[in-house]
Amino acid sequence: MASPEVHHLFHRPIADHSFSADRQTLAVAKDTSVELYGRAGSAFKLKDELKGHDKTVTGVDIAPESGRIVTCSQDRNALVWEPSPTGYKPTLVLLRIARAATFVRWSPSETKFAVGSGDRVIAICYFEEENDWWVSKHLKKPIRSTITTVNWHPNSVLLAAGSTDAHARVFSSFIKGVDARPEPSVWGERLPFNTVCGEYLNNSAGWVHSVAFSPSGNALAFAAHDSSITVVYPSGPEQPPQAVVSVSTQLLPFMSMVWNGEDEIIAAGYDCEAFRFNGSASGWQLTGTLEAKRRPGLGGADAREESALNMFKQMDLKGKVNDDTQLKTVHQNTITTLRAYQGSNGSVSKFSTSGVDGRVVVWST
Amino acid sequence: MSIIQQHTASSLSDAWRTINIDALDPESSQNFDTDTLHPPLPEASEADVRALNGQVRQLLRGGDSEGALRGCLENPVYNGSEVAKDAHLQTVIEVLQSIKASEMTPMLQRIYDSVGGSELVDVLMKYLYKGMAGGSASSGGLRTPTRNLTPQATGFSQIGNRPGSTNESTGAGMSVLLSWHEKVVDVAGLGSIQRCMTDWRKV
Repeated sequence: MASPEVHHLFHRPIADHSFSADRQTLAVAKDTSVELYGRAGSAFKLKDELKGHDKTVTGVDIAPESGRIVTCSQDRNALVWEPSPTGYKPTLVLLRIARAATFVRWSPSETKFAVGSGDRVIAICYFEEENDWWVSKHLKKPIRSTITTVNWHPNSVLLAAGSTDAHARVFSSFIKGVDARPEPSVWGERLPFNTVCGEYLNNSAGWVHSVAFSPSGNALAFAAHDSSITVVYPSGPEQPPQAVVSVSTQLLPFMSMVWNGEDEIIAAGYDCEAFRFNGSASGWQLTGTLEAKRRPGLGGADAREESALNMFKQMDLKGKVNDDTQLKTVHQNTITTLRAYQGSNGSVSKFSTSGVDGRVVVWST
Repeated sequence: MSIIQQHTASSLSDAWRTINIDALDPESSQNFDTDTLHPPLPEASEADVRALNGQVRQLLRGGDSEGALRGCLENPVYNGSEVAKDAHLQTVIEVLQSIKASEMTPMLQRIYDSVGGSELVDVLMKYLYKGMAGGSASSGGLRTPTRNLTPQATGFSQIGNRPGSTNESTGAGMSVLLSWHEKVVDVAGLGSIQRCMTDWRKV
């Protein structure tokens, strides 16, 4: 396993991050702005700053094909940043929400994006040509609380959403004139806007932090605040799912996850490191961490730290033998976002994480 | 003129800022019925709890403490009166006290590794916290007099309120719960505490 590529950008929490398709540009949400970093050799250098929000930015996503950046913020707005020769030009989106926007993601088709909010709605936004304006339609029922996360089905019509009312739901976001009629799938055949294709809850009903469709779109996983991951395999419209597999882990809750193929999920969260789950409809289990822990006594720096001279030096200077203020993990605080970085056909060869410690780390699976 | 006055009077006052608009909206999350977060739970009456208590004691007398522990954890009282819930807590604590310290970890490990075992260990965690919450969680009725008699005001009292109970100190009862807590965390990790906090099915 190659060692992870660590970019410590600043000492502030990163609410969300996104890489461009060529992986040369990295957008991170920092306080009320979005910073764009460009790759310079093995490091990332600050290139541009997108200022347009006046409260904390909660989500950022770069569309892989068009290069448009969408951001959303607690100021109840979303902005679409259009690349132009003179820099990025923001366009305000009519979200019509009365509470903070919490999460934003482009659909795979890049003609729509979904914004989750604390107003118990998901705004599905699309471009109206005749008015030259991004408008939104609301997915409302039966959401009872803040939307924490959304994830798009590969067909760009179905949308999974996790909420603080402990439900993971699958909605249809079909918009006439924007979407092509989707192929019938396990989630349903006729899918008018706001069709609820599935509504799931696990036993202990914690807040849902993350939802993810499998690469085929035929299974849905969600991670909740009860330290569990639940994978749902639907069997068809209006029928109970063929399998609902819940893994209650011994760890702290997971904040974000991605599928790697149909039989692996990588999840990370409050334990500050990424974990691997393997399984299928017949059962899932936690198979281990993706991080090789540094052990004291191995490697140059650690070995020096163990020397007797160093021990006495530390005792003399600080009155103690060694500092244990550092976590053994690469991330020094909660990981809040985990995204696929490189991969093909649904399998992920590299993924990136960002968190409260201001680091963006690229890992290989 | 009068309209303007009204307008300024109402806009100068900031009383409207303190109106809790969420309480007025039937759809708001404040009016969210948390019972919808779990399937309907079977109601346990005091008689059921007492019957279970009898069975558990019989297992204990027969020396099958693991069976007794499983017995009470498989039938947690989620939906019942406070009296029934407290009675079941007493049963659980009785079983926990009867198990030797050296047996705790192997027994927990066996339960955790069995099918559906992690759920049982989570239920145990809930009872440990309920036990430690002690008097404050169930201050009504039976317990108050005994609590006043205990030497230390630890808030925890489980003695004296069932007939024929032995006279241990509160501290001893608490130390049993604390040592079980440590063992449960060793086996089921911090995740079990996390589930104990998030779960809507309260014991």
